[in-house]
Amino acid sequence: MQAPVISLTGVGIRFRRNRRGRRNFKDLFAGGRRRNRPDEFWALRDVSFTVQRGEAIGVVGRNGQGKSTLLKLVTGVVLPDEGTVHVTEGVAPLIEITGGFVDDLTVRDNVYLTAGLHGMTRSQVDARFDDILDFAEIGDFIDTPYKHLSSGMKVRIAFAVISRLEEPILLVDEVLAVGDKAFREKCYRRIEELLAGGRTLFFVSHNERDLRRFCTRGLYLDKGALALDGPIDDVLALYNTQYGIKPA
Amino acid sequence: MRPEQRTSFARYRHSLWLLTQRDLRVRYSTSLLGYFWSILDPLVMAGIYWFVFTQVFSRGVGHEPYIIFLLSALLPWMWFNGTVSDCTRAFLREAKLIRSTRIPRTIWVNRLVLSKGIEFIASIPVLIFFAILAGAPITAGAFLFPLAILIQTVLTIGVGLMVAPLVVFFRDLERAVKLVLRFLFYASPIIYSTTDLPSSLHFWAAFNPLSGIFGLYRAAFFPDNLDWLTVGISAGMSLALLGLGILVFKRTERAVLKEI
Repeated sequence: MQAPVISLTGVGIRFRRNRRGRRNFKDLFAGGRRRNRPDEFWALRDVSFTVQRGEAIGVVGRNGQGKSTLLKLVTGVVLPDEGTVHVTEGVAPLIEITGGFVDDLTVRDNVYLTAGLHGMTRSQVDARFDDILDFAEIGDFIDTPYKHLSSGMKVRIAFAVISRLEEPILLVDEVLAVGDKAFREKCYRRIEELLAGGRTLFFVSHNERDLRRFCTRGLYLDKGALALDGPIDDVLALYNTQYGIKPA
Repeated sequence: MRPEQRTSFARYRHSLWLLTQRDLRVRYSTSLLGYFWSILDPLVMAGIYWFVFTQVFSRGVGHEPYIIFLLSALLPWMWFNGTVSDCTRAFLREAKLIRSTRIPRTIWVNRLVLSKGIEFIASIPVLIFFAILAGAPITAGAFLFPLAILIQTVLTIGVGLMVAPLVVFFRDLERAVKLVLRFLFYASPIIYSTTDLPSSLHFWAAFNPLSGIFGLYRAAFFPDNLDWLTVGISAGMSLALLGLGILVFKRTERAVLKEI
């Protein structure tokens, strides 16, 4: 068996309940191992799993149970307070609705910037540029500042870029819900293509059909812990018995 | 070349260059006068100090020609001042990008040091222009410029790595930093030379790392102004501040990412 591309061991992360609370230097420098404080809560704790290359994983759970935080940990944009996150390959994250695009730059500059920060050279972006625009269907708005796009367009261009990155791991949060039906279907076909090409997928959704369509394995997060790690059907079944509406 | 074939260092360098380019392009393409703005600020300041100290007061400080003396420290001061004050917003301004890429976070400080540094280097022709105009001979001390740039880079990165994360938690620091920078302007040998200070202050002035750095820059025109002991202390202080900066940055990084 190959070494896993993603492995989390005993991962925990905690946040402060009120952001405006008093801070002091002692807190800040105390590092990850200090005692729990009353105004903090664990968003995730004791989460351990490994992912092999090419797996498609659906993350399931109610709102606020740590799904997005888990994706952020895998992306490496937040760091765990305990445990380790080990990701051996590059990650293309579509976590925030805007995909990290900068408001004041034009669509064109944003495409080059985001692709560049993921390690692509100018000529590589040039080669894919038309393809990205075609996919996003926003041809006329190429030199418009990103902030003036509609929210649907923002998601389209973000997905078009992120899915064209040469990163072996793709993370998709619930953001695609914004796009219209036709575009969503297009995105899903792209995801299937990528999966067929051997990419690893992390997919967060509340839509059972989508989850069953892509994912073979599910992670069920509940109350900040990994409640179940198994085949997607088992995971959805458990989720439905605990929180779902009973099938009619 | 596919991205996964790049080493993480190459990737960091690529991203650093990309962000720096963007900084410079934004600054130069959106304004009509472009490059001119980056040198106008130090020129106006130099003009004011030159007028005040040579025309209004009879000056007892610095060296002749005074405009060269001023500019040779004022231009590098602009680099330091600009970077440190921009560092107060390093994380807040780019929060969206930081939340979606996993490049080592030091890049948000380093790219400021680099883009302001490039502006500084681009402003050196102004200094040469005035040197020719004032007929100031350029001595072999000009070869110390790269050393001065190196020490200043170390110092600026060190200070930036401390300022950038702490401002995220203590917003008041943004103003405090501006105040400290203004104090530092007068506490550093820019409009005067260290030798103009009362002798009781000489020892303490050496602990301002900018003293030795400006001395090195000035060695190009005023070799007598150079004091290697001060330079040594500056280099030591700069390295110590860099070490402290890295430590502060490492310890606070986790909390910064949660906060923004």
